[in-house]
Amino acid sequence: MNQTHAKTLVARDVHKSFGSGTHRSPVLRGVSIDAARGETVFLVGPSGSGKTTLLSILGCIMTPDCGSVEVLGQEVGKMTPAQLTAFRRDNLGFIFQTFNLFPTLSALDNVCLTLAMRGASLRTARERASDLLNQVGIWHRRNARPSQLSGGECQRVAVARALADDPALVFADEPTASLDAENGQAVLQLLTRLVRERGVTLVVVTHDDRIFPFADRVLRLEDGCMVHEWVPSESDPLPTPHAGPEAERRRFHEEPVA
Amino acid sequence: MWVLAIKAMLADRAKLMTTLLGITFSVVLVNLQGGLLLGLIQKAAMLIDFSQADIWVGHRHMNNVDTGNLIPERWKERVRGVDGVDAVARYLVMFSSFQMPDGHCEGVVMVGCDSDPRSRMGNPWTMAEGDPEAIFRIPDSILIDANDVEKLGNCQMGDVREIGNARAQIVGMTRGIVSFTTSPYVFTTLERARTKYIHGAPRDQCSYFLVRAKPGTDIPALVRRIKTKVPELDVYDRDTYARLSMEYWLTRTGIGISFGLAAFLGLLVGLAVVAQTLYASVTERLKEFGTLKAMGADDRCVARFLVSQAVGSAALGAVTGILASVVVGTAITSPRAPVILTWQVALVSVVLIVLVCLGSAYLPYWRIRKIDPASVLRS
Repeated sequence: MNQTHAKTLVARDVHKSFGSGTHRSPVLRGVSIDAARGETVFLVGPSGSGKTTLLSILGCIMTPDCGSVEVLGQEVGKMTPAQLTAFRRDNLGFIFQTFNLFPTLSALDNVCLTLAMRGASLRTARERASDLLNQVGIWHRRNARPSQLSGGECQRVAVARALADDPALVFADEPTASLDAENGQAVLQLLTRLVRERGVTLVVVTHDDRIFPFADRVLRLEDGCMVHEWVPSESDPLPTPHAGPEAERRRFHEEPVA
Repeated sequence: MWVLAIKAMLADRAKLMTTLLGITFSVVLVNLQGGLLLGLIQKAAMLIDFSQADIWVGHRHMNNVDTGNLIPERWKERVRGVDGVDAVARYLVMFSSFQMPDGHCEGVVMVGCDSDPRSRMGNPWTMAEGDPEAIFRIPDSILIDANDVEKLGNCQMGDVREIGNARAQIVGMTRGIVSFTTSPYVFTTLERARTKYIHGAPRDQCSYFLVRAKPGTDIPALVRRIKTKVPELDVYDRDTYARLSMEYWLTRTGIGISFGLAAFLGLLVGLAVVAQTLYASVTERLKEFGTLKAMGADDRCVARFLVSQAVGSAALGAVTGILASVVVGTAITSPRAPVILTWQVALVSVVLIVLVCLGSAYLPYWRIRKIDPASVLRS
């Protein structure tokens, strides 16, 4: 029990199906996963394997049909929708594939909006947002709107937004899918550095094998089941943004899930 | 939150312009319709408002100044004897017929003023040309309004016409004293009006007694005292009778409904435009709002965002609308169709447009409520 609570994320035997009657199709079939504080876990697998559904359940956006999901020691499967919303607001951060920034707000205001949503005063929100934009290296672009920013810059704003209110967990859904290799690696390098500095647990869904080196663990799903777990080699340094996928793959060894 | 919502709204220039156009249109329509209605309806009480009389005494059930019945002139003495009365003037308001040189006639409202200089009330108060006292000095003289010149056959100062087959010479022109009934006011003396210009008018009757109170007199108490002296008549202070006259035309003619309906339609147009643009701005940002919901924004937070934008639009639109109302109102106002812009009407238009904008925010709010935050991840 104590060991379970030491984890920020514990999911056991999670099942989820969509549709009804004879059209009901299972997406997750007894998935179990856990993550410790400050750990970076990647969820990989082919399309339709259930990665995003699992991320939605772990991120308290969706509830499982059965199984248990504990986030920060709380059983989220029993929470009401309003409680889930409040829990996400108070404890979780999200990063999305297409950034999803408000196009009519500047980079600074996009980060401020997240803080204002959580009840921060505009002054506090601006100070905190400025500090975060400085940390992600685009403070000089704070007044630019998303349409005036590159993809990499937008995702840096999204990183700042996700970390704005010091969440305990950050969930990233294909964070590099809209970026080129160089920007993808740079953003992941930044994100993993920031979450490690803060002791934040990071769960990333990705198809992009070039960023696997940034993970502490890589979990592979297929047909709604966890089939493999990769652990990066500790002796290998993290690749530079220019390192090729082949070089990165050498840094892992593959282990079957127990 | 509201600052950011307003910023987001201001940044979307195209939608902002459309929204502001819609709101401005609504505000202008409400203000101009309200201003026109006020201007028109105040004409119904113009003779009362500018009469310099504190109290109007007339026939039973008198309800508007232009269509009064006759009362015995001899009762004037009963009114004059009441404590607190300074002066009493007889006043006649009756329809007659103004004959043009080409033979056709125009209905006019003859206003006969008491020629006693000690109790002069109800005579013209603003002149475009000539002297209002001229009717008391020159035989067969009348005053018409400069705005009615065309209606009365382009007559000029000094021209002679016929009213009720009697000679009438124009010796002055009033400025902007035009009646609600569209029949021109023609001022002359009481005696001349009833003996020469109005067929069948009894020589010992008039329409009203206009009462001037002694300085410092309690008007409602004086009204009560006069009423006890002439129980056969109705007695009202100036403001009450002015209100009664305006209410009469408002309720009997349906003018209020007509103007109110136009203003309501204006508000509906505003509602449609604001709702459409707010809804469009939300449907274009479903992913962003879904993201906010995924990050933990609850319905109250989303409502605050939309309400801020709705109220912000309303405030901006109200400012431009009121400015536009002043410009348009000033440009189109005329003595015949005066536009009276008041802060009360402006306030009503602002309150209405804020309510309209808040109402129009409900549809996009409902749309956002339906967004499943999981859809952001699925996309």
